[in-house]
Formats: sequence, C-alpha cells, structure tokens
Amino acid sequence: MTKVLSVKNLSISVPSSQGRATVVDDLSFAIEAGKKVGLVGESGSGKSLTALALMRLIKSPVQIDAGQIFLGDRNVLSMDMQDFRHIRGNEISMIYQDPMSALNPIMRVGQQIVESIQLQSNATGRQARAIAVDHLASVGIPEPERRFDSYPFEMSGGMLQRVVIAIALSGEPKVLIADEATTALDVTTQDRVLTLIDKLAAERGLSVLLITHDLGVAAQFSDDILVMYAGKLVECGSVNQIFSQPVHPYTKALLDSRCDYTIDITKPIKSIAGQPPRPDNRPSGCVFSPRCEHAQPQCSASVPPLEFIQDRYTACFRAEDLFHIGQVN
Amino acid sequence: MRKFLIRRAASSAIVLAMSVVLVFVSIRLLPGDPVLAKLGAATEVTPEALKALREEAGLNRPLLAQLFSWIWNALHGDLGSSYHSQLPVAQLVSERIPVTLELTFFIILIAIIFALILAPLSTHRPGGRVDRIIGYGTSMGLSVPGFVIGIILILVFSLRLAWLPSRGYVPFTEDPVENLKLMILPAITGGLTATPYLVRYLRASMLEIKQSSFVRTAEGKGLSDRRILFRHILPNSLVPTLTMLGLIVGYTLSGVLVIEYMFGLPGIGSLAIESATKRDYAMIQGVSLTIIASFILTTFLFDILCGLVDPRLRLDKGEKSEV
Amino acid sequence: MKFKDRFSFSGTLIILILGVCLACPWVAPYDPYAIGGDIPFAGPSKAHWFGTDDLGRDLLSRILYGGRISILIAISATLIALIIGTLWGVTAGVRRGWIDEFLMRTADAMMAIPQILFALIALSAVGASVYSVPVVVGVLLSPTTARMARSAVVAELNADYVVAATASGVKRSRLIMSEVMPNIAPQLLVQLSINAAAAVMLEATLSFIGLGIQPPDASWGTLMLQGYAKIWNTYWFVAFPALAVTITILAFNAYGERIRVSLDSRRSSS
Repeated sequence: MTKVLSVKNLSISVPSSQGRATVVDDLSFAIEAGKKVGLVGESGSGKSLTALALMRLIKSPVQIDAGQIFLGDRNVLSMDMQDFRHIRGNEISMIYQDPMSALNPIMRVGQQIVESIQLQSNATGRQARAIAVDHLASVGIPEPERRFDSYPFEMSGGMLQRVVIAIALSGEPKVLIADEATTALDVTTQDRVLTLIDKLAAERGLSVLLITHDLGVAAQFSDDILVMYAGKLVECGSVNQIFSQPVHPYTKALLDSRCDYTIDITKPIKSIAGQPPRPDNRPSGCVFSPRCEHAQPQCSASVPPLEFIQDRYTACFRAEDLFHIGQVN
Repeated sequence: MRKFLIRRAASSAIVLAMSVVLVFVSIRLLPGDPVLAKLGAATEVTPEALKALREEAGLNRPLLAQLFSWIWNALHGDLGSSYHSQLPVAQLVSERIPVTLELTFFIILIAIIFALILAPLSTHRPGGRVDRIIGYGTSMGLSVPGFVIGIILILVFSLRLAWLPSRGYVPFTEDPVENLKLMILPAITGGLTATPYLVRYLRASMLEIKQSSFVRTAEGKGLSDRRILFRHILPNSLVPTLTMLGLIVGYTLSGVLVIEYMFGLPGIGSLAIESATKRDYAMIQGVSLTIIASFILTTFLFDILCGLVDPRLRLDKGEKSEV
Repeated sequence: MKFKDRFSFSGTLIILILGVCLACPWVAPYDPYAIGGDIPFAGPSKAHWFGTDDLGRDLLSRILYGGRISILIAISATLIALIIGTLWGVTAGVRRGWIDEFLMRTADAMMAIPQILFALIALSAVGASVYSVPVVVGVLLSPTTARMARSAVVAELNADYVVAATASGVKRSRLIMSEVMPNIAPQLLVQLSINAAAAVMLEATLSFIGLGIQPPDASWGTLMLQGYAKIWNTYWFVAFPALAVTITILAFNAYGERIRVSLDSRRSSS
C-alpha cells in the first residue's frame, strides 16, 4: 500500500509561563491510500493542532518545532509557502469544527465554492457557477441552484457543514482532514454528515483523517485508529484491535468511560481519575502514569517507546502483561 | 431591508428632533437677548421699541409655541430671515452648501484611502515595526488639532514651496482646475484629521476578523494573501468601521467649520462662524439645523451602506429562513 | 497604581508644562503686554528665544502667559465635565429605567451636534470670556464622561462584591459612595486626562476662530489666530504657539493612554 500522507516526529509547542510547552510531542503516523483513519483523544490532546499543522495553518505564537510531513514524497513543511498554496485545498483539504463560523458571513455560499474552483481552473464565472451547483448537489443540498445564492446565516448547521465539505472537495483533494466535523451538529445531523463523508470518500477514493473526541463516531467510520493523550501517540492499530482488545491502559479507560446505552444501563460508567496534565506541566516518564491504575515505578522513570505488540503499536511498558490479563478477564 | 431602513430612519429622526430642540432651547434659554443683538449695542432703544420688536419677532410668545412654529416653518423650507441682511436664511444656507459638500466629500475620500492603505499595512505583522510606526503616527494624529495640520501644510506647500494657494474659492463650474487646486490643502487637512480614528477602528476590527475561522477556511482553500485580504478580511472589517465612519463624519464636520474658516472657503462652516460672531440667531439656528441634519443624514447613509455590505443587517424579522 | 505609571515621561511633561505656565510671572523673561519692547517680527535669538510678534512683544513670554490661560481653562473645564458627567452617568447607571434612557438619549443628541457648532451657539449667546469658555467646554465634554461613568457603574453594580454586599443588607447609597466610586476612580482618571487634552484642543480651536478668548487676553489659540494672520510675515509667530498646544495635548493623551494600558494589563493579569 502506498502512503499518501506521513507524519514523522512532529512536535508543536505553545508559549507558556516557563518558555515553551510542547503540546504535540514527537508524533509519527501514516495514512495509506483510500484509508480512513480516526484520530481520537480528549480535548487538549493536541489532535486539532496536528490537523492544522498538516494544512500549515499553524500561526504564531504556536509553532512547529520539529518533524516532517510528507504528502506523497514531498516534504510539505520545507516547501516554499507560495508552492504549498497550490497543494493546499487542491491535494489536501480540511473540514472545520464549527460550520457556523467557518464560512464568510457576508459572502454567498456559492461564491465561496466558486472561489475555490477558480483557483484550480480557468473556468469562467458561469462555468464555475455550474460546477459549484454540481458540488452543492453532490453533498446533498436540496435546490442547489437556489442555495448557491444563500448567505451562511440563512442556512442550518448541517447544511453549512455540507457547504464546507463541498468547498473542501472542490479542489478534488487526495487527502481530507475532518476536524471534529460533526461535533457542533445535533445527533441526527451528525450521523447524516458522517454518512455523506463516508460515501464521498468511497466514491473518490479519498484518504481521510477523522479527528474526534467521540469514540462512537471514530469506531463507526474508521479503518484505523490513532489514540492521542497529552500530545503523544499512545496506541494505534486497526479499528477492531483497538476497540475489541485495547492494550494501552488509557485506551481501555477511554473505552470504559464512554456512555454506551446499548450495552447495559445498570453498569456504572467509569471515569478516569484525575485530570489530563497541562502542557507546561507534563509528568516525567509515561504521560499517563499518574492516572494509570496499572502504573509501576518504571513508568514514571522513563518514556515508554511505541512498540509493535499484539498486532498494533502501543507505548506502554506493561502492554504485554496487560494484554494477557485482559485475555484472562 | 425595508424594515431595516425604517428602523434606522426612525432612530435618526428621533436624534435629529432631540438635537434640534436642544439647539433651539439653548439659544432661547441662555442669557443674551436676540433682539438686543439684532439691534446692535450701538443704538439706543426705548423699552417700547424693544417690546414692539419682540412682538414682531414673535419672541413674546411661549417658548413651546415658538419652537413649534419654527419647526413647522422649517419643514416648509422657511428658516426665517437673517437679522443682519434680512435675506432668507434658507437661501443663504443653500448657496453655501455646495462648497461644504465638496470639501466633506474629499475629506472622507482621503481619510478612507489612507485608512485602507495604513490599516492593512499595520495588521500585516501586528506588533511589528510597521505596525508600531503607524500606531505612533495615529496617536500623534489624534493629538494634533486640525488647524495645526492646516498651518503646517500652508507653511510647507504655500509659503515654502509655493505649489498651492492657501486661501480662496472658485466654483467648480467656473474653473475646475483652480477649484481643485484650492481644495487640495483643506481636504488634506481634514482627511489627515479623520484618518487616525479610521485607522484605529479598521485595524482593531481587522485584527479580530483575522482570528476568525472563516479566514482560516479561506487560507485552507489555498487562496493568496491578497485575495484573503480583499475578499474576506476587509469586507468583514468594514461593517463596524462604516458605522464608526458616520460618527467620524460628525467629528469631521466640527473640523470642516474651522477648515473653511482658515482656508477662506465660503461654506456652511464659515457661515456658522460669521453668524456667531455677528450674533445672528436666525442664521445660527438655520445653519445648525442644516449641519445637524446633514450629519444625521450621513450617518443614516452609512448605515444603509453597512446593510449593503452585510446581508445579516438587511434581514427582516420573520424572514430568517428554512433548513 | 504603580509609582512608575504615575510618573511616566508624559506625566513629568504635564507637570513641567503646568508648572512653567502657572509660574509665568516669575519665569517669563519679558512683560508679555509691553508693546514696542523690540523690533517686530524679530526671529528667534538669544534675547528672544521664540522671536517677537507683530508689535515687538516677546513671544516666549506671551506663550507662557497664554499657557496660563489655556491651562486654567482646561483644568476648570475638565473639572466641570467631571462633576456634571459623573453625576449624569452615575445617576443613569444607578437609577436605570426611563431615567437612564432619557439621560443617555440626551447624551446621544448632544454628541450628534458637532462640538464646535454647539460651542459657537452657546458662546455667541453668552459672549466669550475667560469664565464662559471653560463652562461651555466643560458642558461639551460631559456627555462622553457620563457614558463612561455609566458603563463603569453598571459593570461595578453587577460585580460579585456588590451583589454580595447588597444581599447582606448594606445600603445602596452607601455602597455607591464607599465601594463603587473608589473602584471606578482609575477609569475616571483616564477620562480626566483625555478630557484635559480635548479641552486644550477645543479652547485653542475656539480662540483660533475668534470665538474664544478675546484680546487683550490671549490664550494659545488667540496667539495662533494672531500669528496665522501674519503667516506671510513670519512662521514662528504661529508655529511656536501651535507647538505648545500640540505638545500639551500629546502629553495629556499619552498619560491617559498609559493609565488605561496599565489598568487593562492589571485587569487581564488578575
């Protein structure tokens, strides 16, 4: 399988009271062509900054300290910004968190798609309009011809997110990043938008990076799962392995803390004790160790490497024994 | 859009009415007798003659009655006649309007052009060297009185370089080139006075808009910086700035008075100063009404302009739509 | 407020200007009214630092004496604006309801009239003098002060400490005097400084158009008017008073800005 996108040793930092605090720490992963990857983690885990870094939308005072991002075989981060602009929106594009504020409030939605279309082709105004209307139709907006002339405030959140998707896809990208794309929407709309992204990805052979804090969404949608905690990748593997046999204690805790009404309402929901560490006050060793019920002295002494254990990568010293304990239970 | 206009028009009318009453009442309530002023201090007047004159001018009627009849007449285009020349105020005022209109137009034009250049330069790198220099410049500009700017311009361009005339007026219809030459210094003076206000507001709202997520969406599309600036950041920043522009025109009108006076332009402003010096109350009232009404009208026009830029403002209640 | 904030460069400059102008009888090298003391329109020299005017009077001495008038007018106008504006704004903010509405709409209407025009009307009615100018300027500056005072009072009244004190039965009027007023004092100080700058500017403008201080009294504005009439003879006659006005306004504005910034940073850090 060819890797369309790979991230190597990415580190991102923000200013803090003691100089700079690392919020994404030595992150590496890759997405293969046509795969859908879910990146999950709590808010503050660094997942959204990772998404912005992929689009080179990180702005001062946040900065990328180290690492490379490859799109195919081109190193995105070392590229000239002028050149990257042709790639951005064209080969890699993004759907944003809050559709209500992701669109220019005083520009007709159709025009905002046309803008993107005309960047890639020399289409005349009328041609671009026709293409934009097609895009609106393809993302399931009723009466696209009429909706072209609507302003964002005249549309609902779900419809706006469809417009944002249409913009993202108008450059016919190979990689689509969806950053909490459904979080701001209500549950029924969430499902519809997700199904739409799924369908469009399948039709166009897109590789998708779905960033979410919602494990249900990630499980429903992804082929592979990446779990981030406090700026670090703690576990990654196929969706089945991660969800049915989590190895890392954090992944396990995360799964246990999820409200799943379908299983057993009498079973209490477990919560993870303590708070995620603040970026300027990360613990030594394994970042999860202070909250981990399986922690041992070595966990806070040194940082566990990401290792291939039981058909997935995980960063835990006790991965092997915990896996077997899990089997016994 | 219609409701929006009606709402704006109504609130403008209320402010206009209140300020007209304020002007009228303050002229009448302040010590100082208009009739005495009319006669001039030199002439000896008998109490009887004074009384007759008061009656003639309708000044012995109750204040409210005077106010209403004045407003009634004003609505019919009759602003009374000048105490001095006895000519109708409305006629004298309307003769002066074109000058002020032309001057104000150029002042606003210059201020907008400067602001549209300086604010984007300033926000390009917030806190950078250019931003700091422009910041100091605007702080300075806010502290320099308009007429001091005018004096500097005259000293440099009329006295030292002898490029431009410093006084006088020729109607545009008679000699357009001379008219424009005479307008340059006054217009720049006014423009420079208004620019710092505009730059400050535009800069602040641009910085805010730059942080918004739709600008990030635009960047994510791969648009060029210039297109993002002109199509996304500037139009959205203009909405709050345009509202401010209305108020700035108010400050500018204050400045126009002085500018017309110092550059010898025969506009409404110098008319106001002349009639104040001569204590010609009928004129002062008429001129005030004209100035206040035009200020409120400009504010109203800028509100409409805002509505044209921002579709959300045009929204009438109940129109907010489906899905 | 920290010591550093109160005695910044602009603060020192203000004290210097105030001191030199108020002490003009002792500081000024010549009698500002003595006509024919020297040749007219003499350029700046060792004897006359700023040159002489059209009647051969020493310009530096005239600027110092003019400064005393300008500064005294600015101070009294600022105090008048502070008193009227604070009463106006605090009443609106405390009473709310229709009183608030009426007071604030009146402020709007006043602000809709261009300041200079309003001053023209008032001054032509009562006549311009060293007594009427500060009153008119003070009244003109009061609506902005009222607005600021109102919003500060409303913000304070909604603050937790006031809510808590009211709940524990402290009388409202006492609360306003003992708690709310001291808390809005720093903001009033900012307004005071900005008003002083505006008062200097307004007075100078009014005198410049011949409706402010009348000869033989001469404020900076009056001096500028005299100098402007002779601008084709000499430049310093108009330039030095203009410089004095501009520097004074700059100093007041800069000081106000400085306090505002230090207030903001204190608020955001707490």
